[in-house]
Amino acid sequence: MSPQNPEQARWFVDEVLPHEPKLRAWLHARFPSIGDGDDLLQEAYSRLLRAHGSGPIANPKAFLFVTVRNLALNHLRHLGYERPAGLAEVDCLTVPDEAPGVPEALAHKEDFQHLIQAIQSLPERCRQIVTLRKIYGLSQKEVAARLGISEHTVEAQGGIGLRKCVEYFRLQGYGPGSPR
Amino acid sequence: MNTPPSNTPEADAIEREAASWVLRLDRRLTAAEQDEYSQWLAADPRHREAVALQRWGWEELDRLTGLQTTVNALPDPDLLAPRRFSPVRKFTGYLPLVLAASTAVGLFLWWPHPAANPAPEPAAVPSYALAAPIEQRTLEDGSTVELNRGAAIETRFTAGERRVSLLRGEANFTVAKNPARPFIVSASGVEVKAVGTVFNVRLGRTAVEVLVAEGKVQVQQPAAATAVVTPLTMGQHAVVSLAPFAPAPQAAKLSAAELEQKTAWQPRLLDFTAASLGEIVGEFNRRNPVHLILGDADLATLRLSATFHSDNVEGFVRLMESDFGMRAEWRGETEIVLRKVR
Repeated sequence: MSPQNPEQARWFVDEVLPHEPKLRAWLHARFPSIGDGDDLLQEAYSRLLRAHGSGPIANPKAFLFVTVRNLALNHLRHLGYERPAGLAEVDCLTVPDEAPGVPEALAHKEDFQHLIQAIQSLPERCRQIVTLRKIYGLSQKEVAARLGISEHTVEAQGGIGLRKCVEYFRLQGYGPGSPR
Repeated sequence: MNTPPSNTPEADAIEREAASWVLRLDRRLTAAEQDEYSQWLAADPRHREAVALQRWGWEELDRLTGLQTTVNALPDPDLLAPRRFSPVRKFTGYLPLVLAASTAVGLFLWWPHPAANPAPEPAAVPSYALAAPIEQRTLEDGSTVELNRGAAIETRFTAGERRVSLLRGEANFTVAKNPARPFIVSASGVEVKAVGTVFNVRLGRTAVEVLVAEGKVQVQQPAAATAVVTPLTMGQHAVVSLAPFAPAPQAAKLSAAELEQKTAWQPRLLDFTAASLGEIVGEFNRRNPVHLILGDADLATLRLSATFHSDNVEGFVRLMESDFGMRAEWRGETEIVLRKVR
């Protein structure tokens, strides 16, 4: 997937591409066995563009790091690797963000309101799980560890949370492809 | 709107299953699940559609990724808890840390607000304010300014002087030393002149408050006919009234506690890239009354990238425990020893 219009292309060049060197360096240091990671990067870009097509991204850099990280973890798990020992995932979650000025999240706060409100409308446990998974990009396993509950519960409650969020969107008249 | 309301129990059940598949797909299916999933999809054409909708919702939520990572590096499950105004946590002192650290088992300590959630209120209008982060700027001369929420400045630098107007709010200046080029902050006509120092200026409605953390400054009242200059030195504080013909401001000495309280808004954001734990701990220790000690020598060489508020020792220690396999232990009133869990 490549940028769909000149505006998105410009956004991509200005806001996304500058992170690539750091992203590659981080990926290489963190997951040496993954090789050059081009496929993961492409997949992450494609997800980012798809998401951006439907509205602004709160933090493109965090989105990229979290997506690449989760893709890498899934990839390794698929190959039967256990998660690399030593450094934990925190290095990715706490990527310093040196972007100047007001983050897009603040500038377009109202564009995120329906997403934020959907999460806020959830029962407590669901809300916590969806928050950790989506805003902080934690994996199911990490959420389970943080909350001191089983992975199975995280998955089950996460599914309930998702369905309720989609239901919330529906009540707001917001669905796939609906005009924003 | 291309999603029909799901009002039948059957449609409900399909949605539930679809959402559950999306979660499983997200972590990749096992071989057995793969078969089960194919069969489920084939069983009813509505299943594929339902999965597409749930998957759309799941990805839609990804747009919030990192919404809060720069403000608070530690994942907070209650970030979007109802009726919580600011997601920025306030440092609440060291006592909770004593309790937490002494019973450290790591992961279960993650609750920043145990049982702090009021019972959910019926359909209250959700209130959520994105907290504007405290902003740090480096000026062209190398001086740095930290702007409290809502503060605004304007700079005008010439060869002879460095001039900053505080348009509103509160700012803390760390001035690069240059006697040949004084650094002047003006707020509603009050001028604070420094050469190289650290000071705080708050522009209120009726007064300007100046506080000096290091070095000294000179404070001049607005268009004072008498041009009274009040010198302020380290630990001193003055309130300059903006009323016409107000008396000259008096310098007052602040106690360490008052000083800390007045500047509590500006915990520094420490930004580390592949820094050693030794360096990070050093930075924390320079800025906090409680000191961290690395109990195992090789911990000092552990490298990580992270952004923390300088006062968030509590969060930092928890992170070391939960994600880096360490154990925290208090030694006396002011020291925390970090060791590897064996």
